[in-house]
Amino acid sequence: MEFDKETYRVSGIGNPGRNPLIIGIAFLALSLVGYFIDSGQLFHSYLIAFTFWCTISLGGLFFVMIHYLTNATWSVVVRRIGENIMALLPVMAAFAIPILVGIGNLYHWSHSDMVQSDHLLKGKSPYLNTTFFIIRMVVYFAVWILLSRYLYKLSLRQDTEHHDYLLRKAAKASAPGMILFAVTITFFSFDLLMSLDAHWYSTIFGVYIFAGSFLSLLSFMTINIIFLRKRGILADTITLEHFRDLGKLIFAFLIFWGYMAFSQYFLIWYGNIPEETVWFLHRWDGSWKTISLILVFGHFVIPFFVLFPMEIKKNIPVMLVMSVWILIMHWIDIYWLVMPSFHSHGIHFSWMDLTTLAGIGGIFIWRFLRIAYSRPLVSVNDPRLESSIKIIS
Amino acid sequence: MANGTENIAEYSGTEQALDPDKLSFRGITDKISGITERRTPPVWFVAFGAAFSLFLVLLGSIGYLIWEGVGIWGLNNPVGWGWAIINFVWWVGIGHAGTLISAILFLLRQRWRTSINRFAEAMTLFAILCALIFPGIHVGRIWVAYWMAPLPNQMSMWPNFRSPLLWDVFAVSTYFTASLLFWYTGLIPDLATFRDRAKKKIKKLIFGILSLGWRGGNRQWRHYELAYLILAGISTPLVLSVHSVVSTDFAVSILPGWHTTIFPPYFVAGAIFSGFAMVVTLTIIARKIFSLDHIITLDHLEKMNKIMLLTGMMVGYAYSIEFFIAWYSGNIYEQFAFLNRAFGNYSWAYWIMISCNVLIPQIFWVKRWRRAVPVMFVASIIINIGMWFERFVIVVTSLSRDFLPANWDYYRPTFWDISTFVGSFGLFFTLFLLFIRLLPMISMTEIKGVLPQADPYHHCPGGHNE
Repeated sequence: MEFDKETYRVSGIGNPGRNPLIIGIAFLALSLVGYFIDSGQLFHSYLIAFTFWCTISLGGLFFVMIHYLTNATWSVVVRRIGENIMALLPVMAAFAIPILVGIGNLYHWSHSDMVQSDHLLKGKSPYLNTTFFIIRMVVYFAVWILLSRYLYKLSLRQDTEHHDYLLRKAAKASAPGMILFAVTITFFSFDLLMSLDAHWYSTIFGVYIFAGSFLSLLSFMTINIIFLRKRGILADTITLEHFRDLGKLIFAFLIFWGYMAFSQYFLIWYGNIPEETVWFLHRWDGSWKTISLILVFGHFVIPFFVLFPMEIKKNIPVMLVMSVWILIMHWIDIYWLVMPSFHSHGIHFSWMDLTTLAGIGGIFIWRFLRIAYSRPLVSVNDPRLESSIKIIS
Repeated sequence: MANGTENIAEYSGTEQALDPDKLSFRGITDKISGITERRTPPVWFVAFGAAFSLFLVLLGSIGYLIWEGVGIWGLNNPVGWGWAIINFVWWVGIGHAGTLISAILFLLRQRWRTSINRFAEAMTLFAILCALIFPGIHVGRIWVAYWMAPLPNQMSMWPNFRSPLLWDVFAVSTYFTASLLFWYTGLIPDLATFRDRAKKKIKKLIFGILSLGWRGGNRQWRHYELAYLILAGISTPLVLSVHSVVSTDFAVSILPGWHTTIFPPYFVAGAIFSGFAMVVTLTIIARKIFSLDHIITLDHLEKMNKIMLLTGMMVGYAYSIEFFIAWYSGNIYEQFAFLNRAFGNYSWAYWIMISCNVLIPQIFWVKRWRRAVPVMFVASIIINIGMWFERFVIVVTSLSRDFLPANWDYYRPTFWDISTFVGSFGLFFTLFLLFIRLLPMISMTEIKGVLPQADPYHHCPGGHNE
């Protein structure tokens, strides 16, 4: 494997991502078997895996747009990695199709007989119905793919053309893009996750999902940078100072996630209205209580104290462990959001939880590596690349 | 600035809102210190006279309130919370911009904050003081207001620790303390400058005491900077927590329109929104009167306008999601509360809120308007009117139409509601004018720190410049 420090390109790696691809295909095939064993389980497991990977790539889109909007300098060196992650949204769009197939298994509101006998669902049916659900999913992915493709194209053009106006164009697109992002990720989370328990509602839910999404993106990015660094790639470009900045962002968004999670829980607990508390009661039932507590400590308390000291954010082994840890917690978070509506009285792990995760993940990482290694790993002609490399956090 | 050079400034990483050619270390010290050392300008006396008169109106209104009781306000049976809580939330919210600028923007390495942080922080303190008046005088028997604090007593009577009103007492007083310390820490080097420049003995003595023996040595600077960083770290969670706690005043109840999970972040966004609007209003006046255009440039104002556009959009997001979820919930009371807001007897207030907070800030999409001082001056005032109405809509619409239609009533403020609120501006501006007259309204040390000359690798013009 050769890394050219002038062009920031990697050459001589043969077939990048072959192994993830094999793993991905194998596990997806294995998951397919699950369809004939327990289709309900399969679709729920699949939904978790899909949401996990999709929220990471959505985080990438957010990262790139916020980079342009704030005109940040430190993140110039990592912007391309964010772009490579958001470029996986078309893959995620393809992976959304099985969810549309599984609507009947996943969502009560898709059964007209159930809707007829349920006053609340009847009221919601103008929004919660199969046709509109599919239309909305198409719209979400159309918006995300158009945005991410447009931004990526400008960035790649900038690599060869040296025109700063391309960056300004990207910033201009990011402003309305951010509004579209906020609206789509909110309703995406309402549709995909909140409507699993179609009676329940919470206004903060979209922001909660966004918090987890951006946090997992930052962790995924950090793992990726460490992976490159181990191979001597970009080690002088993405310095420990950038690790500290990434670490600070991870720390900040851990708190932000905790803030959202606490706001949601606390206001519902204090109000104590049955139609709202029921959702948390399901998650306090039997062994679900364990998962709820794991989230409190694992998704907030422990990483908070680990990442608190200033210098720890420059400690690469710790950052690696914490990033992997946070990704696991993100998966548990989604598991906790989805599964209680299928296994309502306790945790019931299935092998399909793992095969779907590895299946989508294999393809996700295969595409990611293909994209990453076919272009410069850094936006080479960004006018602030030098200042970004030299930044002191 | 020509288009070509603008690009370099924009993308070279040396982005600088200040023009180094117009600023020297000495020039900054002379300019900022000069404001307090010159003879008091007549316009200051006029402004102070007006502000102090309003302050007297506040004192008079409070005096009559204590004499007569809260019956002088327009409160009625379902609407037991009126302007007092609205004003409280509004003033606390205004304070938030100061802390955001001084703490969060500091942690985010936003160097442009140095031109505006000092008086934004001062504004925070004065706004909190104005805010604290309202819950204080609302208790009815004001002579037992100290019962709000959990003081040990022989009757073993304690405040209700489960009440968000008590959390407010803790949150806001912590906030005030932290903001005061932060502000004062930042002031120390500047106070020492004042001490060194003072010509009268008494002035030298006062500033000497206030500057705590600052000599500007290496060790002092290191301690100072570490203290500043730690205080910024402490203040940052407060920006989020204080208004989150304030939002629980409403959100922990089960009243439709109040009980919704998005309230904490939504209130924080709204607080920063109105706070920045107030900073813009005051900045524009101050930079005009004291000709500070070279220190507080259009770039600074434009950045603040961008933040207003952003936070305005965030409250717009919250308004929309609340409305959607009210429908989605299938709960007829929720649905009624929101339909009533938009189309009921207080719809005029709702649409004022929407126009001022969501529609008007959209003008800041246009760069020309983001940089037009008259436009942003008017817009910033409109935004604060809108944010006041936001709290009005939340408080009054939900209360005036509660679960029992027989209770329903229409809330109208009385003369005393208005005079107390208007009077609180008197307190705010009295303090603010005194601050401008007596203390450095812009942080001299921090401005100098972000100038290129302060960079040890900086080459003087004319010298070797790579």
